[in-house]
Amino acid sequence: MGSQRLDFAEFYRGARDECLRTVLVSVGDSDAAQELVDEAFARACASWRKVSRHPAPAAWVVRTALNVNISRWRRRRREVAVPDLGTVADLSTAHEAADSPVDPRIMAALLRLPARQRQVVALRLFLDLDTGRTAEVLGVAPSTVKAHLARALTALRDDLVPTQEQERSS
Amino acid sequence: MNDHDLITAVRDSFTDVHSDTPVEQIVRRSRAVRARRQVPALTAAVAVVAAAGLAVTWLLPGHSATVQPGIHLTAWTVVKHADGTVYVRINQLRDPGGLQRKLRADGVPASVVFGNPMNVQLKPCQWYHGNVSGLLPKVVPSIAPGQPAILAIRPSALPAGAGVQIITMTNLSRIGVRLVSASQGCTGS
Repeated sequence: MGSQRLDFAEFYRGARDECLRTVLVSVGDSDAAQELVDEAFARACASWRKVSRHPAPAAWVVRTALNVNISRWRRRRREVAVPDLGTVADLSTAHEAADSPVDPRIMAALLRLPARQRQVVALRLFLDLDTGRTAEVLGVAPSTVKAHLARALTALRDDLVPTQEQERSS
Repeated sequence: MNDHDLITAVRDSFTDVHSDTPVEQIVRRSRAVRARRQVPALTAAVAVVAAAGLAVTWLLPGHSATVQPGIHLTAWTVVKHADGTVYVRINQLRDPGGLQRKLRADGVPASVVFGNPMNVQLKPCQWYHGNVSGLLPKVVPSIAPGQPAILAIRPSALPAGAGVQIITMTNLSRIGVRLVSASQGCTGS
């Protein structure tokens, strides 16, 4: 049990930043991302015997965090139906931008991508997953991952390059 | 800009994003995860015993029971775990005042409303107007509507001056939780 805890602690310290960055790109809100990643790591710790045998435990954590996010969104959607509880859903991205340590132009460009493209970018760039593993995590075909990544990179380039070139010329 | 440069630019822009949650906090939270998993198992076990026609009463701290011929059913159960998380299980929409008192005794500044909020006096409670971004999932990390409805409340995550209001209307398939300003009239303090 003690060695299991040490194993988990080592995994956590090595993977937490990458997982947080991946989930942040996916959900766009730093507080929400931190909360989701903490919850996912807690679940990983609670099932460490199983998760430690997973071929990509960090991908398991990210998938869990995204599933928790979906569950919470669905729960809030139910709550909206109750009179006077409409504002219970308090996840917003707009006023988070000022506090974010991420370059706001890059964050804004990422947030303009469709959710699935953003998830592909996050898993490929921050968790360094290959196409096959990314496809497994998202439950889609490898060809879909490739297509999403290509479209996402094109959109990001269109969004970011003119700004950077302007900066260079001024 | 080629793909490699673009990917490097995006990746580099996140280098200042770090998770600062200590591992000890995650391990403590994992115990709450295990405890949450045990609640449905406990529910199933009680259902089996009740089906056998035995008199059942919850041997857990804080419950409201009604007596029917041969069987005790709890309207709700409140269990406070060692990490401070308070688990609420609502079986029936009865005795909101008792639930409210029990939650307050367990350290949750709470208001409980069962029934149509339009017909219930909500005026003593006002929305909490502090920084609420991302706060509700921290205070109430788990809400599972249904029969029974189960909530986990973490009072330590509440900022000073905030409380929790639980509103359930005519059935347990919809359960609402909102953050309110703590006051004598609303949350008891």
